[in-house]
Amino acid sequence: MSERVWEVFRQEDEGDPMVHSGNVNAPDEELALHYAREFYGRRGESHRLWIVPRDAITELDDPDLLKPPFDRSHKKPGGYLIKHKLEAAKARAGGTAGE
Amino acid sequence: MATVEQTDTIQPLNGRPPYAPGDADGFFTHVGSGGKVEADAWMPDEYRAAVLKFVEMHANSELMGVLPERDWIMRAPNLRRKLALTSKIQDEVGHAQLLYRVAEDLGKPRAQMLADLLEGKTKFHNVFHYPTRSWADIGIIAWLVDAAAIVSQQALRDSSYAPYARTMRKICWEESVHIMHGRDVVLTLMNGTDAQRAMVQEALDRWWGPLMQMHGPPTDPARDKDLHWGIKAKNNEQLRQEFLSIYVPRIRELGLQIPDVALHYDEAEGRWQYTEPDWAELKSVVTGHGPASQERLGFRRDHYADTQWVRDALLGNATAAA
Repeated sequence: MSERVWEVFRQEDEGDPMVHSGNVNAPDEELALHYAREFYGRRGESHRLWIVPRDAITELDDPDLLKPPFDRSHKKPGGYLIKHKLEAAKARAGGTAGE
Repeated sequence: MATVEQTDTIQPLNGRPPYAPGDADGFFTHVGSGGKVEADAWMPDEYRAAVLKFVEMHANSELMGVLPERDWIMRAPNLRRKLALTSKIQDEVGHAQLLYRVAEDLGKPRAQMLADLLEGKTKFHNVFHYPTRSWADIGIIAWLVDAAAIVSQQALRDSSYAPYARTMRKICWEESVHIMHGRDVVLTLMNGTDAQRAMVQEALDRWWGPLMQMHGPPTDPARDKDLHWGIKAKNNEQLRQEFLSIYVPRIRELGLQIPDVALHYDEAEGRWQYTEPDWAELKSVVTGHGPASQERLGFRRDHYADTQWVRDALLGNATAAA
């Protein structure tokens, strides 16, 4: 029986996202579960584990798609520099409008 | 799926009582003490139905909420504003997709959710039933409508339904960008001409009523099941008070007048006092009788029909494949 690589995802506590932790080598699902449990769950540090065959994972890492070379600052909070505008608007309002 | 057999029976580290499938009392004790529920966990039907109704209404609101903004893409004052507005609309439709996925996992097919929305059987937020009149509306919507929404969405990051809570973490991050975009639009107008400032004031005057209604009338916390089961973490009035505490000062510091003479912070009571929002209007609007309700639903119906060929092609409909 040939071995397969199984990627292990771990949920640290109830409700947390599943986070990639590492992988194990095992010939079948049953052994993969035991290995994953030994490596990533033997101290009670995991709430649940997902064990996924590596060849079941589809990867996308094309920078042209993920990091396109256009200005995307309008998609981020830091893309809006309101400090001076806010000061100007407050100065215009003249502090006449209180709380 | 196979599981590793549990051989010991020591107390759970989190101290919450575990529950067995079918044990509704144990389940409600679990969520009542801060426990989380995953999509594949057993849950009582009434909990499943309550989460589904809540998430479906949220998804509907994200989907319908882009229509007022869509009207302004071609009228944005410059390229950067057009990019930002288009990007916001893309985000909101994306939120609808994420939320319909959460809802689908609870057992209702997406096609059924869309059909129910288009037939007016399910609801979407009151603020998306109103028309837009000027570019200032785009600033007020992105700043204040999104701010009112994020107040409740931030509380949903602690929802007992874990897939919803995790989705809200991503959504809140994106909404924070929208608020910056909206505040930037408003600030730019407030630093502009008198006519532009008047335009913002006029928009605020129209939107204030719907904003005050948005979180809904105060409910009896003892009878609010969504609260009791941890589906949501804060009640309507808490959310409205939180919104007022953050945003009233930010609105007033710009010289804008909030159109409610009764609005003030009551130091003795430790809360904002305000004119009672028009709850009859809220009820009428969310049941499809708002000024733009039918126009928006009509647009969605036409759009749904126009794009049927795409779904047929993607889902391998026999006639499309021929």
